[in-house]
Amino acid sequence: MGFLTPWFLAGTVAVGLPVWLHLLKKHKTTPLPFSSLMFFERRTQSSIKHRRLRYLLLFAARLLLVALIVLAFAHPYVRQTVLASRRQGEITVLAIDNSLSMRAGDRLRQAKQGAKSVVGGLRVGQRAEVLAFGSRVQVMSEITDDHNPLNAAIDSIEPSDTRTSYAELARSLRSIAQSIHLPLAVHLYSDMQQTGWPQNFNDLRLNADVQLHPHGIEAKEIPNFAVENVVAPRRVYDNKKSRVLVTVAGFGNKKATRSVSLVLNGRVTETKQAEVPENGRAQVEFLSLDVPYGRNKGEVRIDSADTLPADDVFYFSVERADPRHALFVQDAAGSRGLLYFKAALEASGQSAFEIDPAAVDQIANVSPAKYAFVVLSDLGALPASFENQLRDYVRTGGGVLISLGHLSEGKSKVPVGGQAIMETRYMGREGERFQTAAWLDKSHPSILNDDRWDDVKFYRAIHVTPGTSRVAARLADQTPLLLDEPIGEGHVLVFASTFDNIDNDFPRSGTFVPFIEQTARYLGRLDSGPSSVAVGAFEELRNSKEKGAAVDVVDPKGERALNLEEATKAQNIQFTIAGFYDIRRPNGRNELVAVNSDRHESDLTPVNEQDLILWQNTAQGAAAGGETASAEQKPLSLWWYVMLGVLALSVAESLLGNQHLSVDKEAA
Amino acid sequence: MLQRFLDPATLASISSLDLVAKTVVDGFVAGLHRSPDFGFSQEFAEYRAYSEGDDLRHVDWNVFARTDKCFLKRYRGETNSQLLILLDTSASMSYTSQKITKLDYAQFLAASLCYMANGQRDAAGLIVFDEDVTNYVAPSTRQGQLFRLLHAIEKVEHGQPNTRTAFAKPFVHFQNFLHRRGIVVVISDYYGDPEEIIQTVEPLRFRGNEVILFHMLDPLEIKPKFKEPVLLYDLEDTKQSLEVSPEYARTDYRRKMEAHIEALSSKAKSAGMDYFLMDTGRPLDEGLREYLAVRRGRF
Repeated sequence: MGFLTPWFLAGTVAVGLPVWLHLLKKHKTTPLPFSSLMFFERRTQSSIKHRRLRYLLLFAARLLLVALIVLAFAHPYVRQTVLASRRQGEITVLAIDNSLSMRAGDRLRQAKQGAKSVVGGLRVGQRAEVLAFGSRVQVMSEITDDHNPLNAAIDSIEPSDTRTSYAELARSLRSIAQSIHLPLAVHLYSDMQQTGWPQNFNDLRLNADVQLHPHGIEAKEIPNFAVENVVAPRRVYDNKKSRVLVTVAGFGNKKATRSVSLVLNGRVTETKQAEVPENGRAQVEFLSLDVPYGRNKGEVRIDSADTLPADDVFYFSVERADPRHALFVQDAAGSRGLLYFKAALEASGQSAFEIDPAAVDQIANVSPAKYAFVVLSDLGALPASFENQLRDYVRTGGGVLISLGHLSEGKSKVPVGGQAIMETRYMGREGERFQTAAWLDKSHPSILNDDRWDDVKFYRAIHVTPGTSRVAARLADQTPLLLDEPIGEGHVLVFASTFDNIDNDFPRSGTFVPFIEQTARYLGRLDSGPSSVAVGAFEELRNSKEKGAAVDVVDPKGERALNLEEATKAQNIQFTIAGFYDIRRPNGRNELVAVNSDRHESDLTPVNEQDLILWQNTAQGAAAGGETASAEQKPLSLWWYVMLGVLALSVAESLLGNQHLSVDKEAA
Repeated sequence: MLQRFLDPATLASISSLDLVAKTVVDGFVAGLHRSPDFGFSQEFAEYRAYSEGDDLRHVDWNVFARTDKCFLKRYRGETNSQLLILLDTSASMSYTSQKITKLDYAQFLAASLCYMANGQRDAAGLIVFDEDVTNYVAPSTRQGQLFRLLHAIEKVEHGQPNTRTAFAKPFVHFQNFLHRRGIVVVISDYYGDPEEIIQTVEPLRFRGNEVILFHMLDPLEIKPKFKEPVLLYDLEDTKQSLEVSPEYARTDYRRKMEAHIEALSSKAKSAGMDYFLMDTGRPLDEGLREYLAVRRGRF
């Protein structure tokens, strides 16, 4: 408690006035004469004493009155925390962490128990709301003062596989506080994981009228082992060429040996031992991946015997398939382009594609639909029927790569893609011996992982007007080198030069192999995504604007993740549970997605106390110094309460004084 | 001096009482009523045979001459009644809560009564007493009696401290002073046991006197009102003091005082005496008028 104007306390000397009136003046009794005392008695003393007592009450009331008036002038205040519970219309928010780490031991049960005790302690009419949070915040109940729905909402919170995000919680609390314009008392039940802390502390800031009460659930460091990562191919074409790399991590542990098992389709195929150092990581490599054809469920398990078994398994999906065929159409005379292209594709490591070469005069009756993609290598004339088939093929999702060389010079437009051919650029004729790729769109799938095209020399290029095409690469004179024209669900990729090591020296460049491999995967829709994703990741369900086609998604529990309406309209889906999601698209592109919980959750190290205090202080507007400092920042004036006391005492003084004066009235 | 005691307004208001009242009241407006005794008036009453020892001055010699028998001639007497005022001057009579003390008021009352008695040619006397008789003016109708009385009343000194009212001792003397029957007026505040007081005063009544008790009390004595607890000391015994609470004075004291007045009044009446409470807060004439009215009603 403090005083805003403490100098007024000097007025306390005024207390001497009633002291003088009551104590000093009272004792001056002057004897008065009376005719006879025969009718008076000694026993009247008791009455006088009683009167004195009342007189003392009046004296005390007056003393207190003077003191309170002085106090009112001194303007007393107290820290806000003292009267925090008296905040008007305060809403109690129960935020319960249901992230993966809360599966450890019975943390979630403890959190629920704590939250229920808060519900039990709510005053009549005091409203509350229940939130569950992991990486996202779920509102489990509406704001109500009824304990039953609140307890039911707490009971309904299930453990999730998501990662703790205190920043997301803080954002939601800010949003709630702004929307309801009432003070919030937030009771946070969490294991206070350090890994849930955001990079930027500002993300944790809370509004001034939010009070945060963190309740740590087993907030201490517990040894925990986890399969941190598994590197496995998503598709396997040759079992012997495939391998699986497992990383086992220990958090807060001592040096230990763990058994690591590779499980394929529920069957343990291989087990190895891993020496996990203290607070370190160990790697285990499985050198073969013997899986049958089709989509396979892969798991890596360890025998951790710790309190958090949920992170002892890592899921991955692997698809065993035969290499797909790609049609390489070239001029009847043949070219070295096929040689270089095939060599590059084979050099990429995985034999995902097999090249079927064909001369342009033999393809009139060939259907491109059975090929993963089609390459048109510098063709002069293309049979119209084949070109039409190619257009349909592309529209339904096929991919075509077209290289332009000297045979394309006489044509007015690029086949299939339809871009206008302007001219042939001979670099030597323009004073430059060669051109280089001056600009690359590094986000394009063909260039994504390797963009070092600086040393590639281009001697001739066909100048094509891009039109609506996406330009992925340009030469130094701004001639478009690589154009991507989407048609329907497919793509037509135009390379404005050749692969035969004549118009350029690209095939001899180190960039050529990754370019061909990435382009083949892109056009053949053989994405090289990871074999697993983390909980919370999104997956695109349909990549065109076509509507109405249902997509079936079966979650790890074996239930449909989407209802009928969502199945026909949803553009994407977020994976919320660890395990295997089976996605069945209408175009037959089925997929088995392995989803793993975020391994940040495996580190159970709690955030340090100081950081928590700092977080609390963001709510109370204090810079630092803990709760007391924040309280001083927001003094609550007691002036009104003192004045109410003055008023009450004035009434009491009047009543007491009136009792004395009632004698005076008659005597007067 | 006369003006001081006999406020013209007071006397005027008393004189305005109707004629009947004057004729009925015995003593106060004397001369208008017949004396119950035979006296010296001119109105013949009867003859009575002489008996030994009778005063020869009353023998009707004309009848003796005619009949040779001694007859006494008796007349309906118009007597002048004797008024004796007993004035208490004890210390308690000095008490006042206003301008005039109880003694002042008693002096006014005594003077008024003397004046009226003189107007009716009644013999008026005065005895001043506290613990003892301090002054005595014998009843008389002589010339200048009124002035003697007024002088005696005037020179009454306010009671000395610690002088008490003691009826027993002075009343023995009173009986010696009373040779004739008449009206005895006792003016006092009567602080004492009513039983004892009446017993002391009662012998006066046995001699055929009409005794009238005027009880002088200050308004604050009847209804004391204190703002706060006070320390009181007794005027008749200054060593005795007592702290009194307003509540007690408002309740118990009043009850006791009323009981005292009631006891005094009832005992006086049962002893054949008149009792009148004179509140010194009221005008003097009001008290007298009330007294006269009561007396008239009785007759």
